[in-house]
Amino acid sequence: MSDRYIFRYIIILVAIVSVLLSATAMWLQPYQKRNELNEQRINILKAAGITGVDNKNAEQLFKQHCTDQQDGDMPLYVIDNQITVIPMRGNGLWGPIWGYIGIADDGKTVVGAVFDHKSETPGLGAEITTDKYQSQYKGKELVKNGDTATVEVDAIAGATRTSKGVEDMIEQTMKLYLPYFEGNE
Amino acid sequence: MSKNMNLITAPLRKANPITVLILGICSSLAVTAKLKPAIVMALSVTVVTALSNLVISLLRKGIPSKIRIIVQLIVVATLVILVDQFLKAFMYDVSKQLSVFVGLIITNCIVMGRLEAFAMSHSPWESFLDGIGNGLGYGSILVIVAFFRELFGSGTLLGYQIIPQGLYDFGYVNNGLMILPPMALIIIGIIIWLQKPEEEK
Repeated sequence: MSDRYIFRYIIILVAIVSVLLSATAMWLQPYQKRNELNEQRINILKAAGITGVDNKNAEQLFKQHCTDQQDGDMPLYVIDNQITVIPMRGNGLWGPIWGYIGIADDGKTVVGAVFDHKSETPGLGAEITTDKYQSQYKGKELVKNGDTATVEVDAIAGATRTSKGVEDMIEQTMKLYLPYFEGNE
Repeated sequence: MSKNMNLITAPLRKANPITVLILGICSSLAVTAKLKPAIVMALSVTVVTALSNLVISLLRKGIPSKIRIIVQLIVVATLVILVDQFLKAFMYDVSKQLSVFVGLIITNCIVMGRLEAFAMSHSPWESFLDGIGNGLGYGSILVIVAFFRELFGSGTLLGYQIIPQGLYDFGYVNNGLMILPPMALIIIGIIIWLQKPEEEK
């Protein structure tokens, strides 16, 4: 088989494959976008203490409960005029972690928290996505004497770095939003 | 007919890719902490091995031998991306649980191994069956390992509580070691140990 044949073969193969992949990506993109958006809505509502939301009713319930929304540098969502849900970003052991935390109208008490991660270890760091871990944050106070306070919860055994990442993420996010909550009081 | 059946049944036991050929160990440690991702991973790998075997077998007479590994890789990578995209669109929660491991099917030695060892020299239908057989052989071990790890590590199966609350009240605790990857290796070791004498007969 000549070099010419090899070149022609691989160019045709790559062309076919790239057309196939682009077509599939374009076809499936709306579905994937909707899933991502719905997941965000489910998490925001969950952080505000509204459970039982799934992919099907997420859009409707979100519209019903979300009374105010701010985008930009300091995004936040107000749920039922009372609970402020703020998105968080931080670092776990292997990659980024993120989540939402719902804060009651006193500006410091946690209503609920949701965490997620890109690549934490299943069974260890990945446990931050479980209700058992997340529900520990309920009722904790994030602000003491006008400054952010570290929230103490039971860390996950074997996943110290991820647990610490969540802790730092909450504290740093709260520092950013402190002026907002103080201005509201 | 029986020869074709053999293509599917052989990889389940006596030519099992994990316990006999010791391939694909990496992903079988990673996705077996829970049963559900293990099942989806098993199905994904089965689809990818079967289809890539089929495609490569169809192309086998035209593939220039100098670049056959590259061609195999292109086919496998394409199929894996397709599987990943479909999971993201229609099984979003599962795709999140599997995260990077779907992408890592590309590097699963079983897929490339079957292409090179079987599909390059057999007819499309035989190759397709061989792919299904090897995918299922891989998957069956994954499911067995995940069954024990989830049951003893989390007390659940497919997310449902199996070990009754009463036992926990008596002081039973979930075995945290089961969740760690080394335990998957130990379980695979035990399966190999149980299977070995039968193989030597």
